[in-house]
Amino acid sequence: MSQKDTGSKWNLTPQGWNLEGVPAYQDQTRYTQVGRSVPRVDAPAKVKGEAVYTGDMTLPGMAYGKIKRSPYAHAILKKIDISKAQELPGVLAVLTGAEAPNRWGIVPQTANETVLALDKVRFYGEGVAAVAAIDEETAEEALDLIEVEYEPLPVLLDPFESMERAHEVLIHEDSPGNIMHQGEQVYGDVDKAFSECAYVLEREFHTNYPQHGFLEPHTALASYDPQSGQMHVWSSTQVPHYLHRQLSIVLEIPMNKIRVTLPTIGGGFGGKGEASSAEFAACLLSRKIGRPVRVTYERSEVFYTNKGRHPAHMKLKMGLDQDGYIKAVDFDNTMDKGAYSGWGVVVLFYTASMMHLPYKVPNVRFRGRSVYTNKPSTGAMRGLGGVQPRFAMECLLDELAEMMGVSPYELKMKNAIESGHTAVNNMFVPHSEYKKCLQTAVEKSGYLEKRGRLPFGKGIGMAGGYYISGTAYTLYQNYKPHTSVMIRVDTEAGVTLFCAAADIGQGSNTVMAQMAAEELGVFYEDVHVQAGDTEIGAFDLGSFASRLTYASGAAIKMACVEINQKLKETAAGMLGVRADQLVIKKREIYSMYETKKRLPWEKAVEAYTSINGSLVGLGNFSPPRRKGIDMISGNRVQGANIGHSPTYGFSCQVHEVEVDVETGRIYVKKVTEAGDCGTPVNPMSVEGQVEGSILFNIGGCLYEDQKLDASGKHLNPNFHDYKMPTMMEMPEMDTNIVESYDPTAPFGVKETGEGAVQPTFPALVNAIYDAIGVRFYSLPITPEMILKALKEKKEKEG
Amino acid sequence: MVMNHFEYFAPRTPAETLELLGRFGSKAKILAGGTDLMILMKNRAIQPECVIDINQVQDFRTIMCEPGQGAVIGTNVKLAEIQFSEALQAKYPALSYAAGEVGSAQVRHMASLGGNTCNASPAAETPTPLAALGTKVVLSSQSGDRELPLEQFITGVRQLGLNEGEMLTRFILPEPAPRSACRYAYMGRRDAMEIDSVNMAVNLELQPDGETIRNIKLVMGSVYPRPLVSQEVPALLNGQRLIDELIETAAAAAQGEAKPIDDIRATAEYRREIVKVLARRLIQETYAAAKGV
Ligand SMILES: Cc1cc2nc3c(=O)[nH]c(=O)nc-3n(C[C@H](O)[C@H](O)[C@H](O)COP(=O)(O)OP(=O)(O)OC[C@H]3O[C@@H](n4cnc5c(N)ncnc54)[C@H](O)[C@@H]3O)c2cc1C
Repeated sequence: MSQKDTGSKWNLTPQGWNLEGVPAYQDQTRYTQVGRSVPRVDAPAKVKGEAVYTGDMTLPGMAYGKIKRSPYAHAILKKIDISKAQELPGVLAVLTGAEAPNRWGIVPQTANETVLALDKVRFYGEGVAAVAAIDEETAEEALDLIEVEYEPLPVLLDPFESMERAHEVLIHEDSPGNIMHQGEQVYGDVDKAFSECAYVLEREFHTNYPQHGFLEPHTALASYDPQSGQMHVWSSTQVPHYLHRQLSIVLEIPMNKIRVTLPTIGGGFGGKGEASSAEFAACLLSRKIGRPVRVTYERSEVFYTNKGRHPAHMKLKMGLDQDGYIKAVDFDNTMDKGAYSGWGVVVLFYTASMMHLPYKVPNVRFRGRSVYTNKPSTGAMRGLGGVQPRFAMECLLDELAEMMGVSPYELKMKNAIESGHTAVNNMFVPHSEYKKCLQTAVEKSGYLEKRGRLPFGKGIGMAGGYYISGTAYTLYQNYKPHTSVMIRVDTEAGVTLFCAAADIGQGSNTVMAQMAAEELGVFYEDVHVQAGDTEIGAFDLGSFASRLTYASGAAIKMACVEINQKLKETAAGMLGVRADQLVIKKREIYSMYETKKRLPWEKAVEAYTSINGSLVGLGNFSPPRRKGIDMISGNRVQGANIGHSPTYGFSCQVHEVEVDVETGRIYVKKVTEAGDCGTPVNPMSVEGQVEGSILFNIGGCLYEDQKLDASGKHLNPNFHDYKMPTMMEMPEMDTNIVESYDPTAPFGVKETGEGAVQPTFPALVNAIYDAIGVRFYSLPITPEMILKALKEKKEKEG
Repeated sequence: MVMNHFEYFAPRTPAETLELLGRFGSKAKILAGGTDLMILMKNRAIQPECVIDINQVQDFRTIMCEPGQGAVIGTNVKLAEIQFSEALQAKYPALSYAAGEVGSAQVRHMASLGGNTCNASPAAETPTPLAALGTKVVLSSQSGDRELPLEQFITGVRQLGLNEGEMLTRFILPEPAPRSACRYAYMGRRDAMEIDSVNMAVNLELQPDGETIRNIKLVMGSVYPRPLVSQEVPALLNGQRLIDELIETAAAAAQGEAKPIDDIRATAEYRREIVKVLARRLIQETYAAAKGV
């Protein structure tokens, strides 16, 4: 086994990483497997079209499930007649909401969704019945035979209208004012701080309604065994554990009788971060008929039920002192919740937490509310809770810099936090290279030389951002470890890592293999990963909150301790040296002092297992439980446990744009990015995540918006009319991984999957301002908006 | 979505095809690339009783493009073939360019030129340059062939001047005049997989002096139920040398003729604005090309 040189600058050990005066064999940062740019383990199968997704699967005797959907966005369900559908030859079962009335939701305190509507529909396309039939054609035909009587109710599509008309119509009877949740957080004395500020600005910002745009639609295959009472579900989910819990609640079967397995997943971006009716319907129908049932959504159904990004209507006020130090922030946020609560409370308070980093802010007030509307429920979407407030904050800082007559770079550098920072809400940042990110992106792009000096129509803009690397708490009250890992070593399979983590395309199986290989002293290619299965893998919370690299890294390190100890003891006897003087690297065990004393790693494995059998190590990770308190008064603050993370990733983007001032089209020409992701476990993967993140939010900023008509019906529920950027819109990218090592983190890692989406909106908006002198406060920025704004500007000036 | 049941035929010759059409008439739908047809059928927007797949008919797949003799393009020539044909690129760059801007590579390798016209979508890419080039369509049935200028063949949104039992079999493109050029441009939100909010083609021929416009034809797409041939632009520019003011006047005239609508892709107001911009840019570009600069 030889290590291939992929030519990456992160390959092997960059000189600078060797801690001063520490001999190389004791230098924990001197990695061989972590830091290697290796292609994803799943890449060849995907490229060859051989990867098996849930929708590719059929089981013997499998039936096809379909969901009947409401043509009204808000209506009372008066009557459902399924008799004609039941009589259709080939129909095996028809399911209605009453058969599975238990409420589910990822946040148990606010769970209010049901598998199918019970007495009311609250968004266009909500499921009202489901059918299982011998083929898809029959299932579709049966849907047409289900007769539903509706009594339409007023449709509320705007959160402000929804609050205003709450006396007249409630979307949920138990939510007065149509408010899902509201809250206030106050830290310090905000009003006093503002009164002492030299520069104060307040602006309103509005974000749009994009959805995730993953390629594989929701799909689930369930197989219920009536003899054993065991349910096996294959599903396209990013949260096998939370799905498992919800299934147990809805199906009323204990979790140990349910097994969730993930075949290949075609992307999630948060959109598979909750259970979906596809999974419930497949299970319930399978239990009804005792045959496997698969439910695969059409693209339109993905749109109808999508849990995209919350449109946010934000008022942000910031105050600086004479020298430009931020003194106070006042943030008011009205979020469009759509029909059901889902991740709602969590997202609301994430937006609040975003005010506290990556700048030092001593006084902060937040007021927010998440408001029900008759739209698909909004939910988790890449960079959850961060993207909207980051847009507001970074744009406002640019305006404040202009007000002060300094460059935005100077202002941001001045206020940027550093390692060891504790925010006023008790969020603790063990390590930060944020300043290095700002500096790198600004220097490499020539931002300071170009800003304000490019010809009309061309512009440059910058913005920074951060994101969590996992959370401090589970969504239900339980303080168990968030990730467990089991590693088995023997002569048969070599090294096998078992963890129920979900690789949804982000590459977690690859980095887990790299980290396990590093810790065991073998090669990445030696490690088999068994993931995405609640029965085979040890416990994991799921793929969200950019948590998995950090959490699984910590658990892997722990799992390897015992394995390495046993192998060293075995080798020690064979070599005649002390076990604590042995090092394992690159499949060799050797004495750190007498390097000639060495033996192949597999010899030690063979010797150990021939006496004791397979070698197994267990490890787990629990994040630190930090409390959300006001650091000044010491008081607990509601919702402020949200936002804490073991560590944080940081980044900065500089965008260069060209605006065609006659057609209004915006061309993003070049993006220079610098990111602090801690140790890049797989730099190639980091680059992929960063480039993908940037294009993801270029989409949200310039192209993507779900449109509904006045009755709540979708106008663009397909990829033809819902426009995502294509490869043709991909700008030139210069992404840079800044040198960073968080000594508190396993292998020094942080995150990169969601942090890199944060600066895109504001960097682009700031660049457009530099190009044409117009600031936009609403997204997406369309060519029509550009032309209109230019016309207004001309009228004002002329 | 599952399609309705239908009878499927795959004739091998034009005669067999026309015989089937004669038999089934409007109950039949022709399947070329299927990139429009299949979508409509899967959405159950149409449910034809019979589908006639013309992909086995070699005669519908040929391009004839000899020097000095214009070109004849079979209805089922794929857009990718038009995009990459060196003969067509040399003689009709506007058509090759437009064909290359349809959808994606996958779509272009399936989609046919005839399908793009017969789908009769106002936003379609190729009818605009075809009309500007003076293309005639050949409509065939068991009782014989007839020819029609393309802009008279497309009569409205999803409406064609086809008689019962008739189909489009080929396009006849005249040889470009000496000292002439034709150019195409479009506007959309992105540069692939895009349905245009406006598209436009200009065909311009100069007099022997190499300065004066003998003949200009400006055709607009996506701003009218069918390809819209400007009446005013030739009236303003024929016999003239091109100066900046004239370009502005002509562009404004085209803008005045366009009758766009609001839809999910763009507002009518924006479309009108773009007509002017594209007209100005295209007239300039085509004039320069015809002059050989
Ligand atoms: C993803 C995607 C992107 C697209 N992007 C674009 C785009 O950018 N620009 C654009 O213009 N179009 C676009 N289209 C539409 C479509 O690809 C084109 O209109 C294409 O040229 C249709 O050709 P076809 O051979 O596939 O037609 P088919 O689908 O086979 O036929 C279309 C219609 O014409 C009829 N028909 C076909 N041939 C004949 C004939 N010889 N005589 C009579 N009737 C006939 C058929 O019965 C059918 O009603 C796109 C489509 C898709 C799926």
